[in-house]
Amino acid sequence: MNWFTLSLAGWRQRPLRTGVTAAGVGLAVAAWFSLLSFQAGYRDGMKNELDRLGAHILVVPKGCPYDAASIALHGASWPCYLPAAYLDEVRAAPGVTTAAPAFMTALHEGTSTNTVYVGVDENFLRLRPAWQIRGRFPQATNELLLGAEAARRRHWQVGQTVPLPGLTNATGLVSGILGPTHGAEDDFIYLRLADAQHLFAHPRQLTHILVRLADPNALDRAVTHLRGCYAGMDMNIVPLAHLFHTIQSLVNSTRLLLGCVAAVALLVAAAGVGNTILMAVAERTREIGVMRALGASRADIFRLFWWETMQVCLAGGTGGLAFAFLASRLLENWLRARLPFAPVDALIRWEWWAAAAGLAGAALVGSIAGFLPAWRAARLSPVLAMRSTGGDA
Amino acid sequence: MTTSPQENTSVIAAQALTKIYQRGREEVRALDAVSFTVARGEFTAITGPSGAGKSTLLNLLGCMDAPTSGTLRLDDREVHGLDERARTELRRSTVGFVFQHFGLLPTLTVEENVVLPALFARRSSARRAEMLLEKVGLLHRRTHRPHELSGGEMQRVAIARALINEPRLLLADEPTGNLDSATGYSIITLFQQLNAEGLTVLVVTHNAVMTAAARRQLALRDGRLADGK
Repeated sequence: MNWFTLSLAGWRQRPLRTGVTAAGVGLAVAAWFSLLSFQAGYRDGMKNELDRLGAHILVVPKGCPYDAASIALHGASWPCYLPAAYLDEVRAAPGVTTAAPAFMTALHEGTSTNTVYVGVDENFLRLRPAWQIRGRFPQATNELLLGAEAARRRHWQVGQTVPLPGLTNATGLVSGILGPTHGAEDDFIYLRLADAQHLFAHPRQLTHILVRLADPNALDRAVTHLRGCYAGMDMNIVPLAHLFHTIQSLVNSTRLLLGCVAAVALLVAAAGVGNTILMAVAERTREIGVMRALGASRADIFRLFWWETMQVCLAGGTGGLAFAFLASRLLENWLRARLPFAPVDALIRWEWWAAAAGLAGAALVGSIAGFLPAWRAARLSPVLAMRSTGGDA
Repeated sequence: MTTSPQENTSVIAAQALTKIYQRGREEVRALDAVSFTVARGEFTAITGPSGAGKSTLLNLLGCMDAPTSGTLRLDDREVHGLDERARTELRRSTVGFVFQHFGLLPTLTVEENVVLPALFARRSSARRAEMLLEKVGLLHRRTHRPHELSGGEMQRVAIARALINEPRLLLADEPTGNLDSATGYSIITLFQQLNAEGLTVLVVTHNAVMTAAARRQLALRDGRLADGK
């Protein structure tokens, strides 16, 4: 026998109470861990989205800028359009190096899946320097560039003439297949801008324009100019860094609130642990007296109860981490359905440092909550403890 | 300081041992100038009515409490003036305790209960625990828990536990108080056997058979030693 098994034996005296106490710690740790994992996942996901977009400004029809950014990034049908003629005014804005027009729409394919078509021109390639294309970018009528996942799912190859999903009697020639980008673009089908406008019956119209600046620090100047120009009356000029920053701030506010809830949960758990161990000390007073008579020092008694508290908290914390890990998929789906903007990447990302922080939090709760009961147990007079009726010993 | 030959051979040497408790404004003199010695290898029974000070005396002898005045030498070490830590250390190395209510920890097995004092003393104990359990006839019950044992078996475990750190002195508080007479007799026999092997035994008891089995009797009345043989 050692100190570890002796403290485990303490648990066994009240397994249900100990289990409920540990569960309280576990839930608090699960909340903390999920929050930290979400923080890491969301921040990196947003950064990756911005990097993948390769643009500094998104020009869209008037409407909600958050919806517009989400549609442009994740692919969907747009509710309204921009005249293609506005492209010239955008290109004339100071500092603009690339203005890539796009026409995007999504068609139902079968019952559940959507096929996203994006019409672009060569300017788009300047925003995607990291793209690796097997074959070539569409240059002739009806040529298609497939996202990696879109091609893999349908088993399409370069040079193959294929029916266009969601359309009847329409075909295209696969001119190229994109290497995996690990974003929503892997499911997109790209075609020439003119082909898309023609195919979906919106000639000389665009859904959005992606703008890259020579100097990202000149963002405000370019935005001010675009908002002040004639076309600016009909366009929404969305500075993406600002937009993402605003979204992040919104999410941060919610996270702060959730953090407060998690902190309260941790405090409640600490109070629960402290109360449980105090009760254990009261119930096991005679046992403490017996141990003192058998040669246990005050430090031994303190160590025993403190270590018992730590075991409850660490077991609860480990269980909480396991629970958070198992429930992360559910939480991810739940969050995705409620966030104003959710990046394609995983929102909840397992981080070892977050798991370690969760366990450290549980240990901290154990240390603090266990101190008073352990100290009281250690201060008990062995003579008075032996006279107590508390305990089975 | 010089010591007399008697002190060198005694395990207990109490001189004018007094313990006063404060109960509200009232002063309770639980022990009043008690002096006696117990030589190595003696089997002593302390008797007396309830409230005579037997348990108080046992607590002082076991270093569980400090006297108000008087001196106590335990195994040739002066107890008076020792701090809590030193008293614990002395108790750990010198004294084995046996209680009326056995004092076994319910969630530990028989063997774990026996080795518990060795854990507190940071000693390795597995082989000695095995030997002691064999001695008290409970080796076959080593993995059982206290609730699976009879009263006599529990007291035997408690005795094995008291001996695990090889104490010089075995203190027992009414060891047969919770046992029927037949079981109590077997415990008395065990105490006699341990004493015959050289262990100093001091028992607080109301049991006439136990008192008779002891080679020496001390009677306490109102905190004073009434007589001694």
